[in-house]
Amino acid sequence: MSESVKGIGATAEAIAAAVRSGNASAEEITRAFLAHADKTAGMLGTYLHRMSEEALRAARAVDAKRASGAPLGALAGVPVAIKDNICIRGVPTTCGSTILEGYRPPYDAHVIERLRAADAVLVGKTNCDEFAMGSSTENSAYHPTKNPWDLARVPGGSSGGSAAAVAAREAPIAYGSDTGGSVRQPAAFCGVYGLKPTYGAVSRYGLVAFASSLDQIGPFARTARDTALAYNAVAGPDARDMTSRAEARPIDLAALEGGMKGLTIGIPRDLLEGEGLAPEIRACFDSAAAAFASHGARLIDVSLPSAKHAIATYYLIAPAEASSNLARYDGVRYGLRAGDGDLRAMYERTRGQGFGREVRRRILLGTYALSAGYYDAYYLRAQKVRTLVRGDFLKALSGADALLLPVTPTTAFGLGEKVEDPLAMYLNDIYSIPASLAGVPALSFPAGFGAAGLPIGLQLVGHPFAEETLLRIARAYETWCDAATKAPPIATEVSA
Amino acid sequence: MPIDAGTVEKIAALARLELQPAEEERMVRELQAILAYVEQLQAVDVGGIEPTSQVTEGKPPALRPDEERPCDVRDEALAQAPDRDGDYFRVPQVV
Repeated sequence: MSESVKGIGATAEAIAAAVRSGNASAEEITRAFLAHADKTAGMLGTYLHRMSEEALRAARAVDAKRASGAPLGALAGVPVAIKDNICIRGVPTTCGSTILEGYRPPYDAHVIERLRAADAVLVGKTNCDEFAMGSSTENSAYHPTKNPWDLARVPGGSSGGSAAAVAAREAPIAYGSDTGGSVRQPAAFCGVYGLKPTYGAVSRYGLVAFASSLDQIGPFARTARDTALAYNAVAGPDARDMTSRAEARPIDLAALEGGMKGLTIGIPRDLLEGEGLAPEIRACFDSAAAAFASHGARLIDVSLPSAKHAIATYYLIAPAEASSNLARYDGVRYGLRAGDGDLRAMYERTRGQGFGREVRRRILLGTYALSAGYYDAYYLRAQKVRTLVRGDFLKALSGADALLLPVTPTTAFGLGEKVEDPLAMYLNDIYSIPASLAGVPALSFPAGFGAAGLPIGLQLVGHPFAEETLLRIARAYETWCDAATKAPPIATEVSA
Repeated sequence: MPIDAGTVEKIAALARLELQPAEEERMVRELQAILAYVEQLQAVDVGGIEPTSQVTEGKPPALRPDEERPCDVRDEALAQAPDRDGDYFRVPQVV
């Protein structure tokens, strides 16, 4: 057996091939990842709940399945971490919130059913901002997660635990959810791939709802090909989510090797000229664009004139939907109950104590935006601006295969740096939110490193259901830039 | 559109959310800052523009047949209840 397959640096693709062919057992691979995470997870605060016993049982079942001669799935024996807002039957699911403390869902999410069918090994529930509301994972009611590249910095959010788990080699694949950037931004901060699929590509059955017109489940991985495997494992229609679509077809991994020739990349000049884009990220962007051109792509300038209003639009639409979705947490059927007065006092106290400050703020903002007298001025107007933002993207994409954007204005910021200023935190989402409003697929890929040795991610935005094109471009980039292959010290030193 | 302590109390009541008196002032300040920022949308020309409530392309999945199917999670679901009375969720007295 080759060391590269046994080690924690192995790709999901290599692990699955080795397990399928019998060159490695799922159990020994799982043990290696669990032993590594035993050392790193506590330092990083990656998980809210580890599933080590279940993982070993699942791995042994995969090995037994192979021994029986049955064919194995695409993620055979691959350790996978799951954001804590995705339901796994019988396993604590808190969404990083006190209000769901102790909750164990009586069912699996659609993506969990699909991962089990693919013979993946689930290793734990990752930390996140409460109900996926945040950009730093500091809004978790339990503990923050730290950036594997610098433990004094945030991993991004809201899916910070999943991004940190993949970057620190605790699992080759993890899943998160992306409502306004919650997969792409932590992927950029942690130096891994993060894909927000097209709205409708992945069923949200069993994903705890935040803003239903925006929520989408997406994978983290360390290679473009692993990202495609992880996408294929969960994409496609499901009768339990009426927004899911059969148009979400599996990515052909061979097509990812197609290179840049014949592709046109749109550069949204107006969005780049905005304030706040760090020079080192701009330099990385320019050098990536030049590299695409030198490898055969055609670059064109495009315009996204309404994108500058995307944050304002998002922070009306998302809280409005959240205020409605989070009405279900009332202390009656599961989780926390507080107060012993009448029913109304019980609701108010349970929700006041169970929700953290960011969630309370967004519920209030959303309730306000939907309330009588303000609905037309706020919510309805935001939905109209959303139409303009989407129109911008479809127009820009009419002459391009993909658009190249930054993911974040800066590299990872410090723990505690923005947590006291919610608006400053929101303004970081300027490059990720527009594609969410437009419903189009967007990929954050590792593109380089900044002066402090922190990862820089860039973003490719594509046509609806054209995830394959985005990963083809990222795969090409991977062949001439080694940004994706570098490991943070914690991944190599701790288990050396 | 200004938001003050009275408005925050009103929307907190609508949202069934108890706020501590100590945090109310801060919440007012933070909501004011956010609402001042989103005010920019008032200047966008949205004349004749249809609202987008959801972005979906392609065909929705076929409706499943409307048939009874087993759903044996009653005990698992009830076991989560903060206060259970047999096969019921118990709540504080309503009337």
